[in-house]
Amino acid sequence: METKKLLGSTKKVVSQYTTWVTFVGLLLLLSILTQGNALKWNSVRNLLIAESVRSFAALGVGMIIITKGIDLSIGYVVCLTASVAASFAQNPDYASAIYAGHTFPLFVPILVAIAAGGAFGLFNGWLVAYGKLPPFIATLGSMSIAKGLQLIYTRAAVVGSLNQNFKDISQGNVGPIPNLIIYVAIAVVIVWVFLKHTRQGTNFYAIGGNPQAARVSGINVERDLMMVYFYAGLLYGIAGTLLASRLGLANSLTANGMELDAIAAVTVGGVSQSGGVGNVSGMIVGVFTMGLINYGMSFLGVDSYYQQLVKGLIIIVAVYFDMKKYARRS
Amino acid sequence: MDNTYALEMEEITKVFPGVRALDGVTLRVKPGTVHALMGENGAGKSTLMKCLFGIYKEDGGIIKLNGSQCRFKDSHDALKSGVSMIHQELSNVPERSVAENLWLGREPLKKSLLIDHKKMNADTKELLARLEMDIKPEKRIGALSISMQQNCEIAKAVSYNSSIVVMDEPTSSLTDNEVDHLFKIIRQLRSQNVAVIYISHKMEEIFAIADEVSVMRDGKMIGTYDICDIDNNKLISLMVGRDATLRFPTFKSSIGDVCLKAEHLSAMNPRSFKDVSFELHRGEILGIGGLVGAQRTELMEAIFGVRGVSAGKISISGKEIVNMTPKKAIQNGVGMITEDRRGSGIFPLMNISANTSIASLGEYLTKLHLLNHNRLNEESRRYNEALRTKTPTMETLIQNLSGGNQQKVIISRWLMTLPDILIMDEPTRGIDVGAKYEIYQIMGQLVEQGKAIIMVSSEMPELIGMSHRVMVLCAGRCTGTLDKSECSQENIMRLATKFM
Repeated sequence: METKKLLGSTKKVVSQYTTWVTFVGLLLLLSILTQGNALKWNSVRNLLIAESVRSFAALGVGMIIITKGIDLSIGYVVCLTASVAASFAQNPDYASAIYAGHTFPLFVPILVAIAAGGAFGLFNGWLVAYGKLPPFIATLGSMSIAKGLQLIYTRAAVVGSLNQNFKDISQGNVGPIPNLIIYVAIAVVIVWVFLKHTRQGTNFYAIGGNPQAARVSGINVERDLMMVYFYAGLLYGIAGTLLASRLGLANSLTANGMELDAIAAVTVGGVSQSGGVGNVSGMIVGVFTMGLINYGMSFLGVDSYYQQLVKGLIIIVAVYFDMKKYARRS
Repeated sequence: MDNTYALEMEEITKVFPGVRALDGVTLRVKPGTVHALMGENGAGKSTLMKCLFGIYKEDGGIIKLNGSQCRFKDSHDALKSGVSMIHQELSNVPERSVAENLWLGREPLKKSLLIDHKKMNADTKELLARLEMDIKPEKRIGALSISMQQNCEIAKAVSYNSSIVVMDEPTSSLTDNEVDHLFKIIRQLRSQNVAVIYISHKMEEIFAIADEVSVMRDGKMIGTYDICDIDNNKLISLMVGRDATLRFPTFKSSIGDVCLKAEHLSAMNPRSFKDVSFELHRGEILGIGGLVGAQRTELMEAIFGVRGVSAGKISISGKEIVNMTPKKAIQNGVGMITEDRRGSGIFPLMNISANTSIASLGEYLTKLHLLNHNRLNEESRRYNEALRTKTPTMETLIQNLSGGNQQKVIISRWLMTLPDILIMDEPTRGIDVGAKYEIYQIMGQLVEQGKAIIMVSSEMPELIGMSHRVMVLCAGRCTGTLDKSECSQENIMRLATKFM
C-alpha cells in the first residue's frame, strides 16, 4: 500500500514536472556516459552561451503560444534585426560598410534593431488581432517580407567588420560569468514577473484558454493579442543584436531556422499548443534541454545528420504527450 | 427475443484516484420502454454511460446486451451493435449536408469506389419522412436550428437500427414545441421496441415521457421505480437524499429606481432583435422569455457590449453609454453570466482562483501595479465559500468540477466585480436540482441587497417562479412585458409565438 502510494505521488510529480525531469535525466545520462567530462564548467558555460540568443526567441514565441498563436517569422526577423544592428556597428574605415565613413554611438545599433523587431511584432500582431488572419499565415507572410527586406538592405552581402565595443556587448564577461548569461537571466526575470504578476500577463493565459470568455470578462482581446506579438518582436530585436555582436557579423543565413528551434524548445518545455498553458521556467528548461541534446550528441561524437533527426523525433514526442495531456479533457 | 431486458449493467464499479465514481451500480432496461436516469450532477450518470460506450473501462461488473455479455471499444463500436447516444453537445460536421452527416463513414458507394449521392439523399429523405422530420437531405447541417440538428442525430441513431438509444439532456436547448416533437419521436421509437435511456434534470419531462425511472446518488443506484409509483417530491428527495418541498426560495426585495434603460435597440444583423426597449429597476429580477431563436442572448450580448448595435441607446443609472464594450459594462457595474458555460464562461485549464478573479484583476493591484495574488486568492476563496462551491482546493482546475460548481465559480467571478446589475443567461442550464435551488437563493439574496438581475430562461417554471416581471421576445421583437400577477405559462407562450 505504502509503495503504491509512493508510486502514485511520484507519478504525479513526474507528470507535473515532466520538463524538469527530462532535463535532469538527460544531464545524468550525459554525465554517466562521459564519466562527468561533459559537465565541466567550461563546457557548461559554452552550452549556456550557445543557447542564450535562442532563449530570447523562445521567451517571445512562448508568450505567443500561450495566447494560442504561433510565429514563423522569428528566424528572418532575427536575421533582419541582426543585419540592421550590424550595419550601424561597422568600422567606419571598412570600405564595404553600409554606412561607410560613419561612426554611430553604441546605443544606435541596439535601439534600431529593437525598434525593427518591435515594428515587425506590431505588424504581425495587427494582422492577427485586428486583421483576423490565422497566426500561421500572417507570420508566414511576414517571414518572407523580413527575408526580402534583409536582402534588399544588405544587397545580400555579409555585414562584417564590426567594432569592438559592439562585439563586447556579448563577448564580455562579468567576473567568470559571460554577459550573455546575465542578459538571459534579466530577460527571464522580467518575462516571469510579467506573465505571473501583471494583469496583461494573466490576460494572455485567459485569451489562450478561452478567447470568448476572456472578452466577456472585460479583456481587450485584440489589444492584448497585438501586444504579445509586439513584446515578442522586441525580444527578437534583442536576439538579433546579441547574435550579430557574438558572431561579429550578420548575413542572410544568420538565425536561419531559429523559429523551429524556439518553437520546439518551448513545446518541450511544456507550453501547450492548445493555448493557455506554460510558464517561463518551462520555456528556459526547454531551450537548455534541446541545447543539451545537441551538445551531448556532439560530445559523444554522433554525426550531425543524426542530430537533426533526433531533434525532430523529440519535438514529435513532446507534442504527442502534450496533446494526450490536454486534448482528451476537452 | 426472449430476454426480459435489452440492456443489463450489473454491479458496475469504477474507481478514479481518490473517488469511487460508481459503486456496484446495477441498471436494467426493458426493450420498448423509456427509462429515465436521474441524479444530481456528479451522481455518476455520465460515468455509467461512459462505461457502457467503452470510453471508460469499468473496474468491476458486467454489461449484457440482449442477454449476451459485451464490451464496446468505443462509441462507434457501440453504434454498430445498435447502441447509440444523442449527446448534449452536438457532434456533426457543420459544413456538410444532412445526408452526408447521416451516412458519414458508411456512405453508399457506386462501383464500390465513388460515393452514390443520389442513393444517399434518397435514403435520407425516406428515413426523415418516416420520422416525420421536415428536413431537406441536401441542406447544410450547420444551417439548421439546434433542434433540427438534434433530430438529425436521432435519425442517424435510427438508421443504425439501434435497439438502445441514450439521450443525454436532449431538451436543454429546445423550445416547448420542439420538445413535443422530440417526445413524439421518442414514442415512435418505443413502439418499435427500442429502449430509450433518457437522462434529464427536468421533472416535467420525466413524468411526461418515462415509463421507469432509476435514481442515482453519490455513485450508487438508489433504485428503479415505475413512473406511476412516484411523484415529483419523492423523486427530488431520492436524488438529493433529503426532503425538498420548495422549488423556489422566497425573497423580499423592494423595487427601486431604474438602473438600466434600453431604448429602441436594434442589432447590426437585420434578422436579429429590432427596436427593443425596457427598463430594469434596482432590486428587481427581470425575466426574459421566448423561444430559441427569439434573439434573447443576442440582446443580452448587445447590452453587455459583446456585440454592437445599429441603433438605440443604453443608459446605466441615467448615464448614456455609447459604444458599449464588456470592459465599459464592467466598469459601470454590469456583469454577465453567459449561456454557454464552456464556450464563453470557463477557462478550462485555469484553476478556481484564477477563474474567479479574472474579471477583477484591475481592482487588486499593488503600488507597483503588479497583481496582489494574496488578496486575489483570498477574495476568490471568500466568494466561493459564500456560494458553497464544492472543490477540493482553490488550485483545482475548473474543468474538473461539476457543471453546478462551475456555474458557482462564474457567479463568484461576477460578484467579485461588485456589480449592480447582473445579466444571467440560462443560469441553471445543465445543473442539478440541489445546485439549482442554491443558485435561486443566491439570486434572491442579490436582489434583497438592491442589485438588479436580468434572467434569460427557457424554463417556464423558473421564469415564472423567480421573476418580478417577464419580458417576452419573439423573432427579435418585444411582444410584451408581464407583471408577476399576469405571469402564466399560457400568457408567456402566447407572446412568444405572436409572429409565428
